[in-house]
Amino acid sequence: MSDRHEKRADSVVRSDVGAGESQATAGTRIEPGRRYGFFTDTTLCIGCKACEVACKEWNALPSDRGALSGMSYDNSRGLSATRWRHVAFIEKLDVDGEPPTQMPPFQSHWLMMSDVCKHCSNAPCLEACPTGAIFRTEFDTVVVQQDICNGCGYCVPACPFGVVEVDENDGKAHKCTLCYDRLKGGFEPACSKACPTESIRFGELDELQRRAESRVDRLHASGVGGAYLYGAPESPGATGGLERLNAFFLLTDAPEVYGLPRAPDRPANRVGPSLAGGLGAVVALAAVAAALLGSRR
Amino acid sequence: MPPTTYYGQPALKPAPWDWKVPVYTFVTPVAGAAQLIGTIADLAAGERAASIVRRARYGAVLGAALGGPLLIGDLHTPARWYNMLRIFRATSPMSIGSWLLTSFGAFSSVLALAHYASERSAGAGLPRLLVAVARWPAAVTGAGMSFYSASLFTATSSPLWAAAPRSLSVKFGSSAVAAAAAGLSLFEQAGARPSPATAALDGIAGAATAMNLGASVVAARHWREQGVKGPLEGPSATAASYRIGAILLGQLLPLACYAINASRAKPSRALSMLASASVLCGSYLMRVGVIEGGKHSSERPVDSLRFASRGRPEPGPLARNRRAIGRAED
Repeated sequence: MSDRHEKRADSVVRSDVGAGESQATAGTRIEPGRRYGFFTDTTLCIGCKACEVACKEWNALPSDRGALSGMSYDNSRGLSATRWRHVAFIEKLDVDGEPPTQMPPFQSHWLMMSDVCKHCSNAPCLEACPTGAIFRTEFDTVVVQQDICNGCGYCVPACPFGVVEVDENDGKAHKCTLCYDRLKGGFEPACSKACPTESIRFGELDELQRRAESRVDRLHASGVGGAYLYGAPESPGATGGLERLNAFFLLTDAPEVYGLPRAPDRPANRVGPSLAGGLGAVVALAAVAAALLGSRR
Repeated sequence: MPPTTYYGQPALKPAPWDWKVPVYTFVTPVAGAAQLIGTIADLAAGERAASIVRRARYGAVLGAALGGPLLIGDLHTPARWYNMLRIFRATSPMSIGSWLLTSFGAFSSVLALAHYASERSAGAGLPRLLVAVARWPAAVTGAGMSFYSASLFTATSSPLWAAAPRSLSVKFGSSAVAAAAAGLSLFEQAGARPSPATAALDGIAGAATAMNLGASVVAARHWREQGVKGPLEGPSATAASYRIGAILLGQLLPLACYAINASRAKPSRALSMLASASVLCGSYLMRVGVIEGGKHSSERPVDSLRFASRGRPEPGPLARNRRAIGRAED
């Protein structure tokens, strides 16, 4: 843990080193005050897991207890406190319940998807955090400040995507920082830089969305009619109070197939109704109590 | 067709909370409700309820004092508990609750000390004035304590908690009021000379229990309608805790006892005490059932993904594509 902090501090000091590197590697300049995110195009993902490895290496995340999952080819199973990118392997061995008689020409029965923290706007974890440890950065990303988090764990059930988790070893909540330290130094995040097929694109949100929309159009034109964006404004995943996911996706099957919720909502919207319900009940009972205690029987 | 999941892997993570959270959400709401009842008894019944008011105030401060360590103990980095008071965040019931507990503890402490001083010395003008003032904010923050913990669960993505926002709050609030009235009644009945206002406490507990039953029926309907498994359909320990605790001990048995006592010319002391003990056990076990049930519901991807689809159709291009394929094959 301390190693990680030292490395971060170091990269901030030498911030001039990376200045402009993202221009060369991601075609985008990183400037505070602009909004950045990921566009993950699952039709380009080959499941190489370079993003998982790059993330682990850069962020010095401890290794996970190795165990065979017995499902698909995916032994890392999902995002966790120590796994901030996760590649899902979805093997479609049947078509509407029937074994396939021939392989389709595109994505031959395999869907691969590199999952990550969605850096939602509004971010339910941030809205739940009682200490202010979780904050929105100058790059419009959502980060847990490790020197403030007291491990209350409230962000964990708040997250509609099951991303953030408390690490039992250090007692703090952890998730993807969208490589906050690298952005400060002018480098694009480790996962997108390592991605060999450009399935993961890092960039400014407006630019990413234009690119994503034209990619969907191109896919539709070439016969992949089921392609759609998940997490872009007004799209599935970005309804019900979550206006947009700063890390958004191009999917070709139902969100549930990838383990994603179709219409995640904003838990904070329930604070008012639930407090009002409780207040109403207790005020009514207080009136009953006043009547009963006041009457002399 | 059963909803699709990613190889049955959980799509959400459960709240990382252990036994201290159910205990906290029992002790502090009951303390808060006791403070509220104490102030109402003081205002409405005066001297007739003197022993009830005293026990309510000392009980409330004891509950608040226990609540702090329980809440801090459940943090995974307890040494940083004070960061809870770094900010106030209206979207976070955890933040609301931290401030509520802090102010409830402070007002309850002042009230208990002033109450003690006013009873000890005959001409205690200042303590009496302090009691007259502090009982109001103590009661208001106590009322908040009695139900806010339901919002703590509701304002998450865990399906069982998120599916029934209002009814769960009514359930928690009414259960806390019932348990506080029952606890105060139990102490009165166990003492040598119960206060003449004790019957009123049983009446409050009975009314609150009836409200709790109503809220439970509504919550069960919300769970059913939204395809979320309720506490009774969770793991066997949770289901048993909920069935025996929340429903039998928390609702049916006490309501029967209160009904019998209300119909008798001279209420039975034993029956009152049985009902009170039953309400207290039931209130705690209801919280265990709802909290553990909520954690389990977040680990069932079928539940959470179905709940998070909120009845919406599948994404447009996907649906159109499926129709197009269907036509092509025809």
